[in-house]
Amino acid sequence: MAAILSGLFYSSDVYLSLSSVQSTDKVAVVPQLRQFHASAACCKVQSGRYKISPKRDKALTYEMANPPHFIAHRKSWNSWDTTSLLEGQRAAETSVEDVFIRRFVSGTWHDQLCSEIIIKRQHNLIRIAGIIKQGLAARKMYFLIGYTEELLSNWLQCPVKLELQTVENKEATVFKYI
Amino acid sequence: MSAIVNLRVFRNFQQFVSIRPISNYPTSFRKNEEIQKVDGDDEFRSLDLSPNKSLNMRSYGRKVYKRAAVHPPRSNKMPTDQDWPSVWPVARSFHPASVPLPLHQGWVVPGATPPGKFANAELMKIPNFLHLTPPAIERQCQALKKFCTEWPKELNTNEKIENHFPITITTSDYLHSSPSLRDARARIVTLQLKLSSLKLDSHAKDKLLRLVKERYNPETDVLTIVSERCPLRKQNLDYAMYLLNVLISESWKTEPWENEKCEADMEKYVWEGSQSQRTVEQLLQRMPDREKAMPEVIEQYARNVTRFHNEGEDAEKISDYKESVKKLLGLQA
Repeated sequence: MAAILSGLFYSSDVYLSLSSVQSTDKVAVVPQLRQFHASAACCKVQSGRYKISPKRDKALTYEMANPPHFIAHRKSWNSWDTTSLLEGQRAAETSVEDVFIRRFVSGTWHDQLCSEIIIKRQHNLIRIAGIIKQGLAARKMYFLIGYTEELLSNWLQCPVKLELQTVENKEATVFKYI
Repeated sequence: MSAIVNLRVFRNFQQFVSIRPISNYPTSFRKNEEIQKVDGDDEFRSLDLSPNKSLNMRSYGRKVYKRAAVHPPRSNKMPTDQDWPSVWPVARSFHPASVPLPLHQGWVVPGATPPGKFANAELMKIPNFLHLTPPAIERQCQALKKFCTEWPKELNTNEKIENHFPITITTSDYLHSSPSLRDARARIVTLQLKLSSLKLDSHAKDKLLRLVKERYNPETDVLTIVSERCPLRKQNLDYAMYLLNVLISESWKTEPWENEKCEADMEKYVWEGSQSQRTVEQLLQRMPDREKAMPEVIEQYARNVTRFHNEGEDAEKISDYKESVKKLLGLQA
């Protein structure tokens, strides 16, 4: 409410100043005022939150069912490292690497992942955890694990471990329907 | 005529039965999937040259394909007396099929059961200590024992340790979850020692305290030197030891101008060599009957005068001073 009021106040203020400039046409220097639209800030927060579907059949995992403000209360972080500690190092590099790892793993295991990709760092070791479907053949699975670990450790120049859990189908990870 | 020719062509086609699977080769995702499923373990698609009705005849309707059997979690078959450190030897993310515990994690509305251990990403996120059970730690300690040396028997008390090793060096190592081992804070070296272990005389101690200023803690008698100006820990350690050497040798030196210090320059009252001491001595010389005045009386007088000067004036100290003067002069009343 306060934001709306301040917005109204702003717009009326600008309007008044404009009218005063127009009425005194003897002023040589016309200030470069432009009319702008000032409205209340939209305080809507949408990221990480899901809308209820009409039929109430949208499947949510536990991760999706808890919006971001419940991190550290009902769910924990997807990236575990020491960059956010006091005088932690390489915060920016670590975040960019995490984004890269997430993209690479979700592309390599396309349509197989049933959960978020969890990246835990211990010293120079990177552990990547996740839940995948059981559809793949054992040999393909071994290949993909080795491929992911080998390429990522080559790019990031540190040992990478992939620690996967398999589920029968995607419905196994469903926490609730909204 | 034309019909017969057509038939012949058809027959010829029938003979090349091995063409069929190839012609079935992925035209759509579903077909690809079907072929894989038919091949059973689908490690490789085999090119079957022998006529096989189920493979080569076009079938209508959905086929039911068997999936590779998924074994039940091995935690079901674990004996209760198994050797857990060999099941979970090193740190790794939680895996529900390897942990024979009925775990649940997750927030639910009160009254409902939280999600179980299978397909539970929350359990995979949190760090676990399943590799650090007491037997595992005991085993690791046993394995490390052969690299350790015995603690010297003679150093059995803290006093002996302090006596033989008066200098304490404190450094910090920083471990990050990053590929780099470097941390600028690791270079800082803190050197601590008790001043009493240096065996300084009063002049040297006074001079040392003036040099080190706030680095000396009078309550614990500990001198602390922090060195962080060099880029490496070794250099900082050398610098701290150098500083200590210089401080001690400087404080033992007596410069010529230090003899010019008179009573007014003293930072606190000292009885020895003071005007008051000289006066008392002269007084006692003029009073031969008090010549054998007990040394403890003079000592008490000295103590009271020093306290009076150093700690400030109050009624108690004035009366003490009065008593000691009366004793010294042999006054009654």
